[in-house]
Amino acid sequence: MTGSKQPLALVTGVGNPDRGDDGFGPAVARRLRGRVPSTVRVLARNGDALALIEDWNGIPSVIVVDAMAAITNPGRVHRINLTDNRLPIGFAPRSSHAFGLAETIELARSLGRLPQCLIAYLVEGEQFETGTPLSPAVADAIETVVERIVTEVSARLGAKGSACHA
Amino acid sequence: MANRTVRVDYIARVEGESSLELHVRDGAVDTVRLSIFEPPRFFEALLRGRGFDEVLDIVARICGICPIAYQMSGVHAIENALGIEVDASIRALRRLLYCGEWIQSHALHIVMLHAPDFLGYPDAIAMARDHGDAVQRALALKKTGNELLRLLGGREIHPINARIGGFYRAPSRAELAPLAEDLKRARDQAIATLRWTAGFPFPEFIRDYEFVALRHPDEYPMNAGRIVSSAGLDIAVADYETKFIERQVPYSTALHSVLKDRGAYLVGPMARYALNRDRLPANIRALADEVGLEPMCRNPFRSILVRGVEVVYACDEALRLIAGYEPPPRSFNPPEPRAATGYACTEAPRGILYHRYRLDGEGTILEASLVPPTAQNQGVIEDDLREVATVALDLDDDALKARCEQSIRNHDPCISCAAHFLKLHVHRT
Repeated sequence: MTGSKQPLALVTGVGNPDRGDDGFGPAVARRLRGRVPSTVRVLARNGDALALIEDWNGIPSVIVVDAMAAITNPGRVHRINLTDNRLPIGFAPRSSHAFGLAETIELARSLGRLPQCLIAYLVEGEQFETGTPLSPAVADAIETVVERIVTEVSARLGAKGSACHA
Repeated sequence: MANRTVRVDYIARVEGESSLELHVRDGAVDTVRLSIFEPPRFFEALLRGRGFDEVLDIVARICGICPIAYQMSGVHAIENALGIEVDASIRALRRLLYCGEWIQSHALHIVMLHAPDFLGYPDAIAMARDHGDAVQRALALKKTGNELLRLLGGREIHPINARIGGFYRAPSRAELAPLAEDLKRARDQAIATLRWTAGFPFPEFIRDYEFVALRHPDEYPMNAGRIVSSAGLDIAVADYETKFIERQVPYSTALHSVLKDRGAYLVGPMARYALNRDRLPANIRALADEVGLEPMCRNPFRSILVRGVEVVYACDEALRLIAGYEPPPRSFNPPEPRAATGYACTEAPRGILYHRYRLDGEGTILEASLVPPTAQNQGVIEDDLREVATVALDLDDDALKARCEQSIRNHDPCISCAAHFLKLHVHRT
């Protein structure tokens, strides 16, 4: 995305690349660059979930990519439509701070600042220790999620940017 | 009910993991324990054997909310050891960077973490439905603070641009100019936030703290000054360990810091303000007077007002620094290693943050000591809790818990920063 024109869609990879599988979101964002249309902004955000609300200003369609604690198998990917649904308990991505992704989404909902369409791709992580790399199962999920997002944003832009399907 | 035990297993709306246990015996508060079970961090040990030029990248990881404080105490301590003097522009940029951290950290605490206590909401999400404007202002303020960190620090979380001797890259005047426009808006938002909090119901509660803060000859303190207290302490930063000591307590992974002669003391906005009100510009003092903030506030529940005043000041100060900024002739003075010990203390949003490093001739760290504000305030937080609970014993357990949690949040504790030590017992049979 270049210039100051307002993007039609935003993909944000959330997480700390220095904390194992928490780096999944930024890794997906890195891999997405150059593979989505210029009307799609791609950002990596390192931990401060509250800042996401400001990023969403005026953008109709947003996809958030993050890691979560394992509830079944590490590397498993969940796609959740958050436009009308809360992030289920147990799916709230790990955060060492007072405001994680789940709280931020609900705060935006309270303020009426949710995008028209908000989708989360969450990967089940295995380890989140400082200084560790992505675990193999989580690293393997990167390309899958990238391809799903490329397909999804293309379909959404074809539908004028605001369609939001479960 | 003569005997009661009140437990809060997980204290919400603070950074890090801690719990509270309160024992009431024969109708009086018997034991208060703020237990920090955040895992130990071992940063002081982690620094040993590393080069002096690695310090800022390592200590920035201690806290996601106040990384600038760790970098500023670290950079000044290493420069103190190496005998480096930086020029006025670098000094101004560091102060500007600190303004950004104060703005974002205080805005987060005032509105998102502390305000719900006063207005009877479980959290900021519920509060936002009725006080959306206040929450929107906080988000905007936080964004402005983050923008300062992003521009001067390279990124807003764990910044990377500060270095020993200066900055890797100093911004141009043109790069700072757009921030001035944001800061003018932020200043108005900060004043509106302060006036909003001034209407909160504050419990009647006075404590006789010994306040400890930095004091500078000319400035409201951030990066420099002597360590002073309301009981007459006035020492150079290098003498910190002659007057203060850290003690281990069995129920916490954080050390408790005390004044050797007198015990618990308070650092943070209340202490800074009480000891440095005369260093604030007249317009900021007038604003404090307007919202009814007394020159020496001893009611910890009113600390939210002091933070509010400091946010307005940080916006004004940032604007002043940007207006007067001239890029330095070079962005850093190259450091030369030498065997020495360096000391520094700076004013993190939560209070003084002390660093000491002992270096060998190659610049390798032989020893590091870091004393974060929350470790220093733990004694006071427990003493507050004892007195808060004593006057609130007739409340039911839920109300008493809520009042105790609010009392802890008065001090905006950063539990993750404080947890850095664990005594390990190995029993072999």
